[in-house]
Amino acid sequence: MTQATVASEATREGARGGTGMVRRRRRRRTIAPYLFSAPAILLYLGFTVIPVIYALQSSFFAQRLTGGGVLGIKRTVFVGWGNYLGVFQDASFLSGFGRLAIYGIIAVPLTLGLALLFALLLDAPGARIRGFSRTMIFIPYAVPGVVAALMWGFMYLPSTSPFSYVTRQLGLGSIPFLEPHGLFGALANISIWGGVGFNMLIIYTSLQSIPDELIEAARLDGANEVQIALRVKVPLVGPALVLTSIFGLLGALQLYGEPTMLKPLTNSISDTWAPLMTIYRDAFTLDNLPAAAAASMVLAVGTAVVSLAVLAIVRALTRRNNA
Amino acid sequence: MRHTKVLTAAIAVVLGAIGITGCSSSGSSATGKVTLNYWAWAPGSAQEVADFNKTHTDIQVNYTNAGGGPQSSAKLLTATRAGNAPDLSLVENTSLPRMVVAGAPLDITKYVKDVKNNFSQGSWSQTTFSGQTFGIPQDVGPMALLYRKDVFAKYGLSAPKTWQDWRNDAATIKAKDPKLIMASLSTDGWGWYAAVAAQAGDNWWTVKKDGSWNVNIDGKGSRDVMSFFEGMYNEHLIAADPILSPTYNQQLNDGTMLSWPSAVWAPGVIEGVAPSTNGKWALAPLPRWNADDPTVSFQGGSSVIVVKTTKHPEQAAEFAKWLNASATGANLILNVQNGYPAALSGQQAAAQQKPPALMPQQTDYYSIVQQIDKHTSAVTWGPDTDIAASAFTDAMNAAVQNHTSWAGALTATQKAVVADMKKQGFKVTEGQG
Repeated sequence: MTQATVASEATREGARGGTGMVRRRRRRRTIAPYLFSAPAILLYLGFTVIPVIYALQSSFFAQRLTGGGVLGIKRTVFVGWGNYLGVFQDASFLSGFGRLAIYGIIAVPLTLGLALLFALLLDAPGARIRGFSRTMIFIPYAVPGVVAALMWGFMYLPSTSPFSYVTRQLGLGSIPFLEPHGLFGALANISIWGGVGFNMLIIYTSLQSIPDELIEAARLDGANEVQIALRVKVPLVGPALVLTSIFGLLGALQLYGEPTMLKPLTNSISDTWAPLMTIYRDAFTLDNLPAAAAASMVLAVGTAVVSLAVLAIVRALTRRNNA
Repeated sequence: MRHTKVLTAAIAVVLGAIGITGCSSSGSSATGKVTLNYWAWAPGSAQEVADFNKTHTDIQVNYTNAGGGPQSSAKLLTATRAGNAPDLSLVENTSLPRMVVAGAPLDITKYVKDVKNNFSQGSWSQTTFSGQTFGIPQDVGPMALLYRKDVFAKYGLSAPKTWQDWRNDAATIKAKDPKLIMASLSTDGWGWYAAVAAQAGDNWWTVKKDGSWNVNIDGKGSRDVMSFFEGMYNEHLIAADPILSPTYNQQLNDGTMLSWPSAVWAPGVIEGVAPSTNGKWALAPLPRWNADDPTVSFQGGSSVIVVKTTKHPEQAAEFAKWLNASATGANLILNVQNGYPAALSGQQAAAQQKPPALMPQQTDYYSIVQQIDKHTSAVTWGPDTDIAASAFTDAMNAAVQNHTSWAGALTATQKAVVADMKKQGFKVTEGQG
């Protein structure tokens, strides 16, 4: 059979929906797919895989002193699992995870809840100035993390905070943003403010892909807007919600920028407030790269475990719903 | 088609060859001119480097501002391990021992033998360990008290002689105007507390005759020092907030912050953030624990090191000597950098200087500084001051937040420092030594 006949037969099959025997098509061997994905693969290898292997390798060594005298010189020595043992014995590193948990419980549900709410509101039929609202909700995400943290730092410091100014005028004193108990909410606020826009866009895009017939059918059945949103739209954007919640969890586990930026402004944040801050301190301030490498490995494995657990739970719930 | 492929390949090879021969890997070309990279953060360093470049045709120096003391130390260590460190760097004296242990500075004893006598014994001992010199001192920070003379005069007070006087002055002013704060002793001021404890007789790190270390952070003298300032804090006479933050700078500007026990380099810093208060400040010797003992320590102070990975050690040492040990360099440090030079010639020149812009009315400023400098004793910094800094700051933050004992921060710091030194492989003893 000639190529043309094969091709036209395949097209007819496709138009009919693809059932029946699928003729094997002779494909010209091209390297185009490999060329297109090559840059991404090379960058991934170079900037993710190779550094991970290097970090894994350096986590099995340590710096020990050699040479006598008052100040010897440090040399690299193989210590096996010593660094990992040190990580699990480091109370400050582990308590950082406790603080992360409190921060995560505040930040992640609020970010996703607000993102979902805004997306549903923007998708509602009567919504006005949609384009303007979308931009305004998204703009905080466009502000770089460090700039946002610095700016919010000024809004939190009692002497420069507009919010504390108002409460002081009302006689209620300054708001304790940067005190230990207020700190979790303050840090969560910065990331909620920045993260809602991006997540809202993901969920909104997912909402656009819901077929209009379903909404119309629900409306014909007599559902009002709230019921449509909760019973029809939210279940259908399930995959987008799973995606954004995993992003949110990963982001919470890697909390670093906001506490580091606020650290010079207050006494409530220690060098080891978040696990990633401990890793940075070990690597660069204390010049202990192997210990930091070991802690990074632990954090990376923990992050992977959390993500897989979330996916497994979601899969189990979906299976139960569909059964 | 074939021809195009061959042609493209040929062009690529030719371009590549031109590229490789075009760039030179090291800093010296056929004429012998040497280019050095110098990291520093002190204000005025750019001009110092420019002046050197004008008068030296065979050595040219590129200056990079590497951030403040702690940041540039961290960057220097990382860069040295990565193999792209500069040729020279400014290093805080508190960090120099741990830099030596990390293998960053070069032993330049043989290059700098000729300038050793340009410095006092105390300054030189900050950069020499076991007979090996690892850096040339640039500036020193004899401790002193900066205070708002006008506010003190308003309440009939003069410069305090002892710490108890300082405390009494704070109580007097507080009673008349509760808004005013005598000072803020930040929780990350471990170096300041170490120096004030040394003033009281307790040295946090000492080297014993057999070359082993003795760590005495948690000694009685240090604990008394911490309890003294904790008492002041509990009576709201001082604050424990971060210094040079937006809040602190605002307090400097509106006259709420009344003094800063620090060192001789402080006027430049205050003038930088609160120039509207020029003319209202004065310098006095640091309050003492014992009225008869004027000895104070250094706070801060930095040195220039030649990094081990440099390809031009001799030329780098020459630049360091010009900058820190020559009369020209010392003058620049004094006038442009507003630092107190470690070089004796610079200190003598300082005596003829006009006072800093922050206190133009204090014409005897530099003779007071010379007097202070006559009674200084150098502090020995241990090989893991970074651990001390981290442990002390975290423990003090917790103590201030939870209203627990400040002396407890010393215990936590001692524990962390000793454990780390033992783990690294040093021989360590504890106690009064």
